[in-house]
Amino acid sequence: MKLLDAEIVNNIRIGEGLYKMEFFSPYLCKNFKPGQFINIKCSPEGLFDPFLRRPFSIYDIENNFNVVSVLYLVRGKGTKYLSGLEKGDNINFCGPLGNPLSFENDKKVLLIGGGIGIAPLYLMAKKLSGQGALVYFLCGFKESNFRLLEKDFLRLNADYKIYCEDGMWGEVGIVTDEFASGKNKFEDYKVYCCGPLEMLKKLQAIFSKYNNTVIAILEEKMACGIGVCMGCAVKIKQKGGFAYKKVCSDGPSFNLEEVLFG
Amino acid sequence: MVKEKGPNLKVNLGTIELDNPVITCSGTFSSGLEYGKFYDISKLGAVTTKSFSLKPKKGNEPPRTCEVACGLLNSIGLQNDGINSFKKDHLPYIKKLNIRVILSIFGQDIAEFRKIAKEIVDIRQDIIALELNLSCPNVEKGGMAFCTSTDDIKNITHEVKQITKIPVIVKLSPNVGDLSMPAISAREGGADAISLINTVIGAAFDIDSFKPKLGNIQGGLSGPAVKPIAIANVYNLYKENILPIIGMGGIYSWEDAVEFMIAGAKAIGLGSVNFVNYMAGIEILENIKKYLTSKNITDINSIIGRASDKIKR
Repeated sequence: MKLLDAEIVNNIRIGEGLYKMEFFSPYLCKNFKPGQFINIKCSPEGLFDPFLRRPFSIYDIENNFNVVSVLYLVRGKGTKYLSGLEKGDNINFCGPLGNPLSFENDKKVLLIGGGIGIAPLYLMAKKLSGQGALVYFLCGFKESNFRLLEKDFLRLNADYKIYCEDGMWGEVGIVTDEFASGKNKFEDYKVYCCGPLEMLKKLQAIFSKYNNTVIAILEEKMACGIGVCMGCAVKIKQKGGFAYKKVCSDGPSFNLEEVLFG
Repeated sequence: MVKEKGPNLKVNLGTIELDNPVITCSGTFSSGLEYGKFYDISKLGAVTTKSFSLKPKKGNEPPRTCEVACGLLNSIGLQNDGINSFKKDHLPYIKKLNIRVILSIFGQDIAEFRKIAKEIVDIRQDIIALELNLSCPNVEKGGMAFCTSTDDIKNITHEVKQITKIPVIVKLSPNVGDLSMPAISAREGGADAISLINTVIGAAFDIDSFKPKLGNIQGGLSGPAVKPIAIANVYNLYKENILPIIGMGGIYSWEDAVEFMIAGAKAIGLGSVNFVNYMAGIEILENIKKYLTSKNITDINSIIGRASDKIKR
């Protein structure tokens, strides 16, 4: 974990409100592991509005070029600031943060991503398929603004399926429709998911009927990102009730069945 | 060759001696472990721990933080693992990292403060001071914060100091209005110093869901947004010369830190800036040194309260 400045190599709009930022970081290329995240200062040097850093997954790592990329939707002041940065500008980030996932022994893996929640899963898909695992990448989007990413998906040595609610891309519907028949086509798969709360709640209900191990990569607003402030608390089931765990330093990955959603 | 001496940075808060005035605020620095990965935190004047209660406390319902313009609202709810966890889990690395530590404590009634104090007696040589967090609710008085009662401030300070024989800092809340009476009560109770300000009560609502943005509805506002409130309180209490002041509230840069000192703070506390710039402590300390050198100031104590000299009434 280091606090570093990095030079932006590319920061392009790839769809309505959707951006991909690539920056030069030999340190992250070497040390970042899937499941972890970084946080980026989203205001100019010396200014403090927006005040807090923002957590981001790493979408992809290009080891040959020492470049990592972050996928983000412009939602508020922080991401709006990021979207205005150009090639040659610097960002200040800290990372890698959070705990890496250990998937060395995974042979068959189902990745389920909703919206910007696909960001950490793409790198996982790449690593997993690279180590010979059978990977099925299930992605759901509200709108087809993510569709330029399909060229990245095509490069994966993995099967993928797209659901899109606006009917402009893939199948019309949402990712959980994949399980609507009540039949589990992924009985012997390990499952990783990341996405909006409603998707995770539905997946929790669906997989409560099956025996799959399901790991959820959670998102939460964070103040410090390093386990100090206890702001990103999430309720995790425990004997006789629940305990608050920190998404940043205890997670961000948890067993989906153990998460108590509010 | 004689090595050129830098400016004197030592400050005294009553009987509490600090090598330099830069300390961290409770709740924003854990007990230092995480920040020790970024720089040598033994160089700080002191580290104030997160507040500990007698028994573990679960904390508030999420969401617990909400960013606002130039600041942060939080309602963590004083989540902590209890004073025994401080002794068992935190103190060993605090000693190993050579951190000068101020232990922050809170209780839900006077009896709990007394019990915590008794738990601290056997580690008092490892702690340079205690900070009393009196912004928490007093369950014996229907949840009114201790800091709203001058009797409570005085009695808790007195009892804790009697039991522990450790210097005591009382943290004052700006939410009670004028801080003179609470400060006088702290002095009457035997406090060595006061720290101010704690966070300012605030709230925020979501215009789409109509829901509060914090699980606890209200929280404490910190960050640059509160700095002028803190500066005014430090300045007013400095003029009254009640107790040495640790100034805190929205310090983001070394310039902010110097501003607090000329307003009357003998030491300065870094709070939510630690969430944004993990190196803030050491950067601010180094830059204060440079500032003093550039102005040919040989002793940092000579700038404390200087603003009062410049104001003619």
